[in-house]
Amino acid sequence: MSKIISIHSFRGGTGKSNTTANLAVSLAQMGLRVCVVDTDIQSPGIHVMFQLNPKDIKFSLNDFLWGKCEIEQTAHEVFTEDSKGRVFLIPSSMRTGDIARVLKFGYDIQLLREGFMNIISKLTIDVLLIDTHPGLNEETLMSIALSDVLLIILRPDAQDYQGTAVTVEVARQIEVPQMYLLMNKVPDLFDKTETIEKAQEAFTCPVIAILPHSDEMMMLASNGIFVRQYPDHPITREIGMVAQKILG
Amino acid sequence: MSLSKIRLPKGMRALVLIISAALVYGFLNAYSNRLLLPSAPFIALRPQVVLPFFLGLVFGPWVGFLTGFLGNMIGDALCGYGCWTFWNWHIANGIYGLLPGLACYFGLKEIRTLRRFVIMETIVVATNLVAIGVAVLADLFWLKTMQFPESLNSWILPALITNIVLSFVLVPLLLVFVKFIVITVETRITLVLSWLIVSIVVISATAVTWTVWNDLTSQAASVQAFYSAGIVTVLVVIIGFLISVFLAHRITDPLANLGQAARQIEQGEYQLPVLDTLDKRSDEFGQLATVMRSMASQIEARETRLKNQVAELKIEIDRTKQDEDVREIVESDYFKALRQKARGFRTTSRIDKEEEIKDATPKDDESSSI
Ligand SMILES: Nc1ncnc2c1ncn2[C@@H]1O[C@H](COP(=O)(O)OP(=O)(O)OP(=O)(O)O)[C@@H](O)[C@H]1O
Ligand SMILES: [Mg+2]
Repeated sequence: MSKIISIHSFRGGTGKSNTTANLAVSLAQMGLRVCVVDTDIQSPGIHVMFQLNPKDIKFSLNDFLWGKCEIEQTAHEVFTEDSKGRVFLIPSSMRTGDIARVLKFGYDIQLLREGFMNIISKLTIDVLLIDTHPGLNEETLMSIALSDVLLIILRPDAQDYQGTAVTVEVARQIEVPQMYLLMNKVPDLFDKTETIEKAQEAFTCPVIAILPHSDEMMMLASNGIFVRQYPDHPITREIGMVAQKILG
Repeated sequence: MSLSKIRLPKGMRALVLIISAALVYGFLNAYSNRLLLPSAPFIALRPQVVLPFFLGLVFGPWVGFLTGFLGNMIGDALCGYGCWTFWNWHIANGIYGLLPGLACYFGLKEIRTLRRFVIMETIVVATNLVAIGVAVLADLFWLKTMQFPESLNSWILPALITNIVLSFVLVPLLLVFVKFIVITVETRITLVLSWLIVSIVVISATAVTWTVWNDLTSQAASVQAFYSAGIVTVLVVIIGFLISVFLAHRITDPLANLGQAARQIEQGEYQLPVLDTLDKRSDEFGQLATVMRSMASQIEARETRLKNQVAELKIEIDRTKQDEDVREIVESDYFKALRQKARGFRTTSRIDKEEEIKDATPKDDESSSI
């Protein structure tokens, strides 16, 4: 049975898109068919990591939401592993006009859900990953409402804590079946187990992983998929473990 | 090329090596100049004795033994003594290559520590004693060409002394040249000190020999004393070597301790008991050890300070504000509608899945009934 997983954070730049892309590849390397949907319509970005040229995007999520095309026409195969593992990407439009239009008129949750359900059955998707826009706007709440699992990313930064606490509570009210925290960009000098304990206590939510701050990740600067470039890196192992836990 | 990669030669290569080395050895034996050492007026100074030793140590027992054995035979033939007359000395020369060859065979490869250096020099002395001992015993029991005990002083002892002193100087030189002795701090110090001692002893003794030689030959009584001086020479060389080993240890032991301390710091151990005696020394090593110890405690302090900062990672959440924010979102009409829809989706998707299963079962029945 397929799973829908939202990757979210209250503030921007926490590493949502990087985590989503790496998780997708990690799952595909385990032989799963994965679809990544960029619902960050205001500031799309995940296509960069998969090196998908905006010129090669014929239809985007925006086109589907306005009824211009079928959902499967928006899916771009961006990663292949052996005969089974695949990552498809449904990008958001890069055109400013398209972005403004969605912001103005919004879209309907029913439509979004149909899109998700169709893509899952048409492409026999095992895991659908949703990269979201930060904050708690209406579109983000929709993605969360449609998810089986919510992964909330935060940094060990006082600015992230308050919003994360609110997000956890709101997600709980919306009755997401499974919810995890992932702490990203954690300096090495922080004690791992202690950090996990503190976060679990403060947010009353299980911490799925602590990803260290990594110079290699900074240097890669989203120009590729970390787990492919550094297959033996501790972060790669950690992401693999997140993938396992999410599958349950 | 590193010597450790040399494999002992076999077949044709070994044969060519042995024949050419034996020829060189034989010619040198037959035509070497007569250089004299103290106490050894009748024994030619034969630097080539180190050849079988060297080849044995580097290429193994067969090459060493045959070079010495055949080389001595060729030398005798060239001098007109005949091929087999002094066969005991062929064996003795063979042993010069055989013993170091066995050491090589049993794993004496690279010399980079004092321990191995001492083993090598011990083999030098032992080889000389065994080789000449065998030759003398053979003469005693079978050939009977020497007169005892006169030969002991005039022949045997001088030969032994000359060869030991020569080997002490030349063997390490050759081994350094082919990198069998690897220059480390340990070997460098030992080499320099032992060469200094040997050369001072040999040069001064030789100078004395040459100046007093004419007087000595006329006063036969003191010749005895002069021979004993040869033994003293060898003893001084050996004792000098041992002293240089001891001195080298004084320098390299602290280095080993400092290295050990550095490794412990690398692994996060900061107590460093290995430096306990070292940092009481007043020399440069003592200073280095003191610095190292204070460095370790600085690192330890810094590390604990950082660890304490970890403990200060505080997650503070304003609960009233959190509740307000949550309520504002959750109580909006939009949210309420969304939650209602989400509940609906979840139940329908559950029902969908159940239906999928139900759909699948009758299909299976149909296919099986066909
Ligand atoms: N563990 C990490 N160590 C160091 N740098 C990281 C790490 N994770 C992410 N980054 C960097 O942080 C930046 C932001 O990452 P990313 O774009 O994935 O965040 P985001 O949450 O998707 O941002 P936005 O909210 O703008 O969509 C990137 O430059 C990325 O390379
Ligand atoms: Mg992003």
